[in-house]
Amino acid sequence: MSNVLSIAREESRLWLRSRLALFALLIFAVLLAAVSIATSLRMSEEHRERSEQQALAEETFLSQPDRHPHRMVHYGHYVFRTPPPLAMIDPGVDSVTGQSIFLEGHRQNTAMFADARAGADLGGFEGLTAALVYQLFVPLLLIAIGHGVFIREREENTLAPLLAQGVTGNELYAGKWIALAGVTLALLLPLAIVSAAAVVRGETLLASFGVIGLYALYLFVWCGLILLVSAMVRSRALSLGILALFWLASALIVPRMAVESAVSAMPAPGKIETDLRMQAELREVGDGHNAGAPQFMQLRANLLVQYDVERVEDLPVNFRGVVSEVAEADVTEVMNRFAEERMEFEVRQARFAESFGWLSPVVAVSAGSRALSGTDLATHHRFLREAEDVRFDFVQGLNRVHAEQLAYNDDINRSLNEEANRRTRMSAENWNVLDEFSFQPAAADERLARAGTPLGMLSAWLLLLTAGGVGAARRMQP
Amino acid sequence: MISMLAAQSLSVMRSGQEVLKDVSFSIKQGEIHALLGGNGAGKSTTLLTFLGFLAPASGNVHVQGRDVSENVSAARQAIAYLPEAATLYGHLSAYENLHYFLSLAGTDTGRKALDDALDRVALQPEARNMRMETYSKGMRQKVAIALAILRDTPILLLDEPTSGLDPVAIDEFNRLARDLAEAGRTILLVTHDVYGACHVADRIDLLQNGVLVGAFDRPAGMDRIDTEAVHVAFAQHAGA
Repeated sequence: MSNVLSIAREESRLWLRSRLALFALLIFAVLLAAVSIATSLRMSEEHRERSEQQALAEETFLSQPDRHPHRMVHYGHYVFRTPPPLAMIDPGVDSVTGQSIFLEGHRQNTAMFADARAGADLGGFEGLTAALVYQLFVPLLLIAIGHGVFIREREENTLAPLLAQGVTGNELYAGKWIALAGVTLALLLPLAIVSAAAVVRGETLLASFGVIGLYALYLFVWCGLILLVSAMVRSRALSLGILALFWLASALIVPRMAVESAVSAMPAPGKIETDLRMQAELREVGDGHNAGAPQFMQLRANLLVQYDVERVEDLPVNFRGVVSEVAEADVTEVMNRFAEERMEFEVRQARFAESFGWLSPVVAVSAGSRALSGTDLATHHRFLREAEDVRFDFVQGLNRVHAEQLAYNDDINRSLNEEANRRTRMSAENWNVLDEFSFQPAAADERLARAGTPLGMLSAWLLLLTAGGVGAARRMQP
Repeated sequence: MISMLAAQSLSVMRSGQEVLKDVSFSIKQGEIHALLGGNGAGKSTTLLTFLGFLAPASGNVHVQGRDVSENVSAARQAIAYLPEAATLYGHLSAYENLHYFLSLAGTDTGRKALDDALDRVALQPEARNMRMETYSKGMRQKVAIALAILRDTPILLLDEPTSGLDPVAIDEFNRLARDLAEAGRTILLVTHDVYGACHVADRIDLLQNGVLVGAFDRPAGMDRIDTEAVHVAFAQHAGA
């Protein structure tokens, strides 16, 4: 063990004494710190803004004057997806999936995007996140300082004296591995600081440690690869070439291939075609605004029997309100089915794309990072479902007010005169049917479970590369 | 008396070529044995085989009576090796290099012992704390020799030990080698320097294209092997 540590110490001393390595490390440290701070500030601002907008939207809804309840159904309400604390590291799908939804009766609107102000403030620099720097650029630094880790010993004729001192190939490999891992851990310091800031903002320790562990594992994969290549080839240029090619394939080509393959293997049904199918089903359900539509005749008959009356005017409930409630439930069932189909399809596509993590550690780490940060597709889908729950609850709450508090006769005669119209205005206290909405990230253990496959992929990469590296180092001869 | 180093019918293949062919010799304790030959004669290959870096295609090599292929680490523990054109680490000073390599070998050595060894190879004291990347070839060679001495092993394998040394330093090295041998250490050195080999070695084996083609012993009572005879044989086989 002492030989391993001596070798590791010596390798570190070489890098510290090499101005080039030190300079490169400093540049990356500054870049990491700058990007981490910039991303943290941006996501904190996003969190603050969306929380404020959420509160404002709720206040605006609740402050509406007395109105016909169905007008409130169409007045609608906004919900905002506040970014989780770990979005400071990986904003994930945040910028491409929309962050707010307008909720209203009989419709499921798509998520809308924020304005471009945040991006414009940073001069386009917002695309560079801490996650991206760790996923793409830190491996380049490790390649730059580590590609010649064994080759240098050959080229400078120090391998023979090393081995002649009784140092084994395994000891040499372990020493170099520890040295490179030491650099990796030092480079993870900014990530640890941002993760600690996320904990202060309410993130769990488990999730924060999970993110740090994931990136440590990912960078150790690169260490393993660098050591393997350096142990196998005999020239620095060749080693650098192989590693640069692998980086290119892993960081740029395979991720693109993953997306393209997912789209080709599972072509999405066209939006127009899907919308037409859904509209056809919705027409069968009937328009809740038209209580006289044939779809509601059976409902009318059932109610008359239930309450033992001859006319809808004699019902103890407002038939138009009941129709709105029943129609909303039926419409929502159809819309939810289509939404679930679409989300299931998106999940299958995403899973297919993520399976390319067996070919590229970059694909694996980006999937794991989004899952642990709570900024993945599953989180977005949960936001859509929770938003839909809010929409359905407040719309049905208003429909119940319509059915139970507004007299049918007043309702159908509201256009006769101002007084008739006034009688259909329900008290604003009824708007309290709206639940507060606060989108929270999933529990840490759930996110950890979602990151299980990417973690498994990276572990397999690490095991494979380490086994290869140990084998190559064991066969190393001067 | 057990031979400290012995090669028996040794043949070694490298890159598909037979670079040593049926070579046999043995070296006793306290003896300086020189392998003399031109470039590509198989001299360095012989040393690497004793260290277990290369495996014999046939025959075997023994260190202190034990077959190297059966226990490589024991062989390396018994041997201090000076590779050809040893540079050690340029970013380290002489002291740091010696300390590092000796710690890897498990040899606990204090600063005084390091200074003693560096004195013996005549490395200027003011250079000892300077990074070795600023050293001349001869200075680096001196540090490498000091490392071999400091290993305190019974056997030294020295590959072109006087390469890069000036004539004064070569004489000092020859005296040092003789002192070490008299202290009981066994030295196998490979060189193409006929004059140096004749002055320091007890026995010279002439190696040509992987084959031993001649042997010369230092006559009793003489301080060196007959340089002229070795020269003639060397030239004759080199021209053959």
